[in-house]
Amino acid sequence: MRQRHRKGYVQKHNLEDKPLKGSSQANTINIALAGNPNVGKSVIFNQLTGLSQTIGNWPGKTVERKEGQLEFLGFHFNIVDLPGIYSLSTYSLEEIVSREYIVSEEVDVIINVIDATNLERNLFFTFQLLELEVPVILAINQCDILDKRNRSIDFKRMEEIFKLPVIPCVAIHGKGVHQLLEEAIELSVYHHPHQHYLKKGKRMHEHLSHAHRTQELYTKEWTMHLRPKKSFQFPDLSSLLKFGKEVEGKIEYLISEISQFESYFSQFNYPGRFLAIKLLEDDNVVNSFFKKNESTRYLLNIAEDFRKELEEFHGEDIHTIISSEIYNKIHKIIRLVLISEKKEERKKSLSDKLDQITTHPFWGYVILILILVGTYFFTFEIGNLLGGYLEEVYGMWSVEIYGMYGADPLWVKLLWDGVVGGVFGAIGGVLVYVIPFFLIMEILQDSGYLPRAAFLLDKFMHFLGVHGKTIIPMILGFGCNVPACAGCRIMETRREKKISVALTSLIPCSAVLTVVMGLVGRFLGPIYVGLLFLINFVVIIIFGKVLNKTMPGKCTELIMEMHEYRAPNTKVILKQTWNRSKEFIFKAMPIIIILGIVLELLLMFNLLEPINLFLSPITFILGLPLICGIFLIYGIIRKELTLVLLQDLAQSLGMTLPMLLTPLQMFVFSLVTMLYIPCFATIIIIARETNWKYAIKIALLEVGVAIVIGALVYWGGTFLLSLL
Amino acid sequence: MTLNAESNMDDHFQKTSSLLSCLSDCPHKTDVEVVSVNAGLGAKKRLCDLGIVPGTKITKTRSGILRGPVQVDVKGSKIVLGRGLAAKVIVKCNNS
Repeated sequence: MRQRHRKGYVQKHNLEDKPLKGSSQANTINIALAGNPNVGKSVIFNQLTGLSQTIGNWPGKTVERKEGQLEFLGFHFNIVDLPGIYSLSTYSLEEIVSREYIVSEEVDVIINVIDATNLERNLFFTFQLLELEVPVILAINQCDILDKRNRSIDFKRMEEIFKLPVIPCVAIHGKGVHQLLEEAIELSVYHHPHQHYLKKGKRMHEHLSHAHRTQELYTKEWTMHLRPKKSFQFPDLSSLLKFGKEVEGKIEYLISEISQFESYFSQFNYPGRFLAIKLLEDDNVVNSFFKKNESTRYLLNIAEDFRKELEEFHGEDIHTIISSEIYNKIHKIIRLVLISEKKEERKKSLSDKLDQITTHPFWGYVILILILVGTYFFTFEIGNLLGGYLEEVYGMWSVEIYGMYGADPLWVKLLWDGVVGGVFGAIGGVLVYVIPFFLIMEILQDSGYLPRAAFLLDKFMHFLGVHGKTIIPMILGFGCNVPACAGCRIMETRREKKISVALTSLIPCSAVLTVVMGLVGRFLGPIYVGLLFLINFVVIIIFGKVLNKTMPGKCTELIMEMHEYRAPNTKVILKQTWNRSKEFIFKAMPIIIILGIVLELLLMFNLLEPINLFLSPITFILGLPLICGIFLIYGIIRKELTLVLLQDLAQSLGMTLPMLLTPLQMFVFSLVTMLYIPCFATIIIIARETNWKYAIKIALLEVGVAIVIGALVYWGGTFLLSLL
Repeated sequence: MTLNAESNMDDHFQKTSSLLSCLSDCPHKTDVEVVSVNAGLGAKKRLCDLGIVPGTKITKTRSGILRGPVQVDVKGSKIVLGRGLAAKVIVKCNNS
């Protein structure tokens, strides 16, 4: 069955790729995937779009937007994967963005992905979607896991209750995925839900392979080319969505008042009932609609009175009252649709066992440390192996080239030393470390390990003024600070986001690692590398403490869902690793190569000296050779450039690094590179996540700290050495 | 902060042989019922979204060392709460 579906899907994909008559615009169906985090939305998305996706940001918002396309049954589908959210209130930016998108004209059909193993909580989100009265398809994912637990869902019953298409899926095997598209077409063509179960009374397996409509059939019936959502006849779900008498009475009153201003509210795309509920719930965005118009303002006061009355009556806040009512309804539905075949003793799965050990009060921490150290070790071993090999190749070729053309001609300097040397330096010095690191980060992320780290370190992170979730961007920061700082979005409050980006920007990323390993690791040994990291972590702790003290507000508490472990999907991981690496190759490599050429030119025309002279106060305080000044400037662009270009310079001067720097200078040079400023891209991301003022403040603060600590270490070190 | 069993065990709770405690102090692996959440509005909202509303049956399954966070099973999902927040979730333990 599974096989057949996948095959069928692929064949259709190829055979019926021809566009229908009429403009391609008319045959476009825009789909949004919505649901809780970790329910398999991305899996469905990947199955549909075949990983050919574009990842950008929602216009004007720092929320990731994943988009993809496909052709199916002659229709063109645009698919947008909405961020995983728990509700459609205006608690977070993700929720605001999703809500606005769902009601906008840009989307025709919403596929609500629901985790079958967690039906109750997932349906809470579904209820909110239904309140928006948009065409929704319920995709019940992970039915196979439910099967294993000897439970099943009565899909027919569920379709009767929700009066909308309900499709069982096992997205990871592609099962049920193309039914979603067929259903989306039917919703768009007929403008009302086409209830298969009710009409044909079919059983589940028959439904899974329900009559695949041919392209011709659709073309025949395809009469309307309008946006389907406008003319969609939302089923009558009033008995399902109705609240208890107290609340419902208030909402009905508000609806009747709102309906007087239909022409005004139609611009916001929200149905009247939704506006009434959210007005009662004191939703910021909805309130602003009412504030904007003089004649609707009185409703704010009425809603407030209603709210107070209800809160007094129930002794709870309005959000709790409404949520409780929804959960009560869901509880009743669950009893109708969820069938437990027998009370089974759930055996401990591998996921449970892993969960147990990775959150163990002792072994959990051991594993966490092993993972962090192992990641560094793995990255470094692979990087060293490949990097060393590349260096050898470059050396051999250089001998050949110099032998043939001499080492002095301008073009040899520019093309060979500059361009080819730059490429080799970038690949051998950086890329070979970056790719293995990205790979491990993807595995950690995809397997679901990171929330465990957040659990283990929550207490410690409170010490730094943030809660455990910050550890997730911080661990990612070991790979690259740029996506890690962007990842600080998961923090709920502005204060935590600010502290998180600052701390994350101090995490030594893989670029810093290459400098540390390539200089201190190579010439001084691992103990000094450890010392560098120790200093770095102490700085992070002090930074956290200081920010926590100086920033107004208090540290909020951790609220996080702990998802099950899952076997990482090799294809997805490789693809993501490649995506990240690609970005590095195409964005960073050209910069490295161009700067390599510029450096050669500066050297050739003796222009390095004025720049270095200008920076001499700083290099002097740090006890570094004057020549290092320019590299610290380059390092702002990309940290690894400090070492890559220093190596280039040493090569051009016919020297080795130990001839250029004393051991103490190497240590200080690495330390300063580690701390002195987040790279340019990170600064931009920090500014985008917070604001420019804060980004510059952080950057300057870090420069100051680096100079002070660097100077202390140098002069302290010199003094100690003189004693020996 | 902690609603102590002795001080709050009034007649009603004696009759139903149940006692109130906060989630951070209640025993592991026993079904308890959420009575109230005395946290800020934001945290309360988020807990509602995750299914922790008064009346919900939850089970504490894990707590971190050194007063670390608390993990509970709620409606089939595992939710982690910081210790400070767990102390604000009042639950009713059934003795029977």
